[in-house]
Amino acid sequence: MDSDMRIWEHPVLGKYEKYEEPKVLHFTLDGKDMTGYEGDSVAAALKAAGVMTHRYTAKNHRPRGIFCAIGRCTDCVMIVNGQPNVRTCITPLEEGMELRTQYGVQTKEEWEAENDEEI
Amino acid sequence: MKRYEVIVIGAGPAGLSAAAEAAKKGMKVAVFDENAGPGGQLFKQIHKFFGSRANNARMRGFKIGRKLLKEAEENGVEVFLNAVVTGIFEEKEVMVRIDDTVHHYKADYIVIATGAAENMVPFKGWDKPGVMGAGASQALMHLQGVRPGRKVLVVGSGNVGLIVAFQICQVGCDLVAVLDAAPRVGGYGVHASKITRTGVPFLTSHTIIEAKGDDHVESAVIAEVDDHFTPIPGTEKEIEVDTVLLAVGLTPMNQLASNAGCRVEYQEQNGRLSPVTIVDEYGETTMSGIYCCGDSAKETAEGASSAMLQGKIAAEHIAADAGYTTEADAEEKAEEYRKTLDQLSGGMFDVKNKGRMDISTTEEGYPISQSLLRHGYITAEELKGFPAASYEADGPHPVIECTQNIPCNPCRDVCPAGLIHVAEDITRIPEIDYSQKCTNCGMCVTNCPGQAIFIVDNDYEPGYATVSLPYEFLPYPEKGDKGKALDRSGTPVCDAEIVSVRTARAMDNTAFLTMKVPAEFADTARFFRKG
Amino acid sequence: MSKIIRKAPTEPFKPQPDDDLIICRCEEITKGEIRRAVHDGLRTVNEIKRWTRAGMGLCQGQTCQRNVQNIIARELGISVADVGMITGRAPVRPVVMEVYANDVVDKEEQR
Repeated sequence: MDSDMRIWEHPVLGKYEKYEEPKVLHFTLDGKDMTGYEGDSVAAALKAAGVMTHRYTAKNHRPRGIFCAIGRCTDCVMIVNGQPNVRTCITPLEEGMELRTQYGVQTKEEWEAENDEEI
Repeated sequence: MKRYEVIVIGAGPAGLSAAAEAAKKGMKVAVFDENAGPGGQLFKQIHKFFGSRANNARMRGFKIGRKLLKEAEENGVEVFLNAVVTGIFEEKEVMVRIDDTVHHYKADYIVIATGAAENMVPFKGWDKPGVMGAGASQALMHLQGVRPGRKVLVVGSGNVGLIVAFQICQVGCDLVAVLDAAPRVGGYGVHASKITRTGVPFLTSHTIIEAKGDDHVESAVIAEVDDHFTPIPGTEKEIEVDTVLLAVGLTPMNQLASNAGCRVEYQEQNGRLSPVTIVDEYGETTMSGIYCCGDSAKETAEGASSAMLQGKIAAEHIAADAGYTTEADAEEKAEEYRKTLDQLSGGMFDVKNKGRMDISTTEEGYPISQSLLRHGYITAEELKGFPAASYEADGPHPVIECTQNIPCNPCRDVCPAGLIHVAEDITRIPEIDYSQKCTNCGMCVTNCPGQAIFIVDNDYEPGYATVSLPYEFLPYPEKGDKGKALDRSGTPVCDAEIVSVRTARAMDNTAFLTMKVPAEFADTARFFRKG
Repeated sequence: MSKIIRKAPTEPFKPQPDDDLIICRCEEITKGEIRRAVHDGLRTVNEIKRWTRAGMGLCQGQTCQRNVQNIIARELGISVADVGMITGRAPVRPVVMEVYANDVVDKEEQR
């Protein structure tokens, strides 16, 4: 859990509020169990867990991840609790969240079923 | 339909300032912001701001944000967060999405303060995970407490790139290099210097050609460019990085202004074109009663500081128009704010001088360091001619390595001994009155937003001098720690020993580090590396 | 108001080595497709948007607009200022269609 991507203490900001008494949140990514902290955005929790690819594009299946981190570029979208195109950088992580890597606007299984080919 | 006298869009520095000021006059004000937290980009800004006291100089951005928010709330401004303004319609109807619902509000006056978006430069693989905006890394580091990556390359050496590059070092990431296609560092030399002396190279006249990697960035291919910014074949180098940060300028977010029918057009400055929302001297657009201020209107020097003043000016005009203040009072106030705004302009980094390559001396006539422009550090030789960089004085005394005209004067304000002088025009280079005695209090060193002041004591011990420097990295070295002193270029030059580490509330998380070095390195040792 | 650009490319379309470069990230439109569109008779950034979909995706051209403008300007040999800007339209941020149906009428509280 203790990820080396976390900044436990910052020379200017000190200790972040969410790390004072960190509350662990459980979520799944494509069915795999993962954890983050309360106060994380979905994108930050994934970044801390070492996940960089949030989705694959519809046309060319190019991997995409965090790009603007403030909800403008819409590159970091994923399927969150069944809803596609959710901007993960501005969506707070919640206990029990189900995240799916987004293929076009679908899950991998949906995409493969519809296009009759494997990714 | 719910009606407000003033609707402000965007809770950043411009919006909050406008809202607070209008509310102070007695107006009913609502602020809508699409983000979960207020403050716009201010809460991502952790460096000490430039400018003068009237511009909150030497205060860190996020603290200015807190102050503004408190001021707005205390004056009865209603701040709506997660409230996305999706359109402005005829007769000042504002459509706002809040959660899963759409709301409509009416306003007598609208202030558009939506800020700017980062420019992006396309190159092969620029859409791979790992390539991101510089602002994105700030959001991750400062709002989320998460590192953007392990090995980082910063593209762009304007002030945003330089500030972010330093912050990358502060959180312990490995900053591999800062590159810029231009032949010189674009932002303040002082920002560049504090990175260079830690040992990070600046690669001017370089560009990124490709971000490589299967599912995410694993390396970057960079190359030197010629005078036309074309990569020179054969100069390509592949460097191992997992993160590429793009800091190549900002563009005003003028979609709402455009949507509301305000005139938005391209204006040229020194061959660069930028979209500008046309406003009068109060910030009113071509649509009566709709104002636009801050970065969403046009690019300014010291964006956030200018934005706050522009917001206040707009509020004065609105309050006068609505009868909450007299026109004479509003004009008097506005004139005062404009004077403070003017302090921020001037000098080689003024927006009107941006992109100019022909400025070779300061306004005082000192030659501008070519090494600073090219490599991100000034040489000891180049520094000699500057008025606040003497090594002749007895005992501890400040050496100010501030050699470009930038709008800033906290060094003057914080010096209790009255040694340091900055002219009324705060872009002037500081001078030192060496007839006054330095108390070695460290206030200038730790409060200089450019971290460009050192206190040097040539005769600390026979054969040894001390150099005191600002330090914002963790962990702090401790007294007795031994290591190497690095020079301005980041090259280890001699052994060094820490003789004191001072912190104080007034130093605001910048430690005052004093290291002992052989006397002959007093004018070159500028950073400490343990071990 | 959309601009009228009376300038056409002076030379026929010639492929360039970086034509496969993605410019519009949302809609995955390449530099080549945008250049091609200019040669197909489209001129302003609004025209290119409607023809190629560059700038029509979720982010509404916030990331690519400047780069699209640059490509058109270079292709036509004109200034970026003459290429025009994407007309700001509501909704300026993505809104799920379902949300539009949840129109709430806030009323002033009676005092």
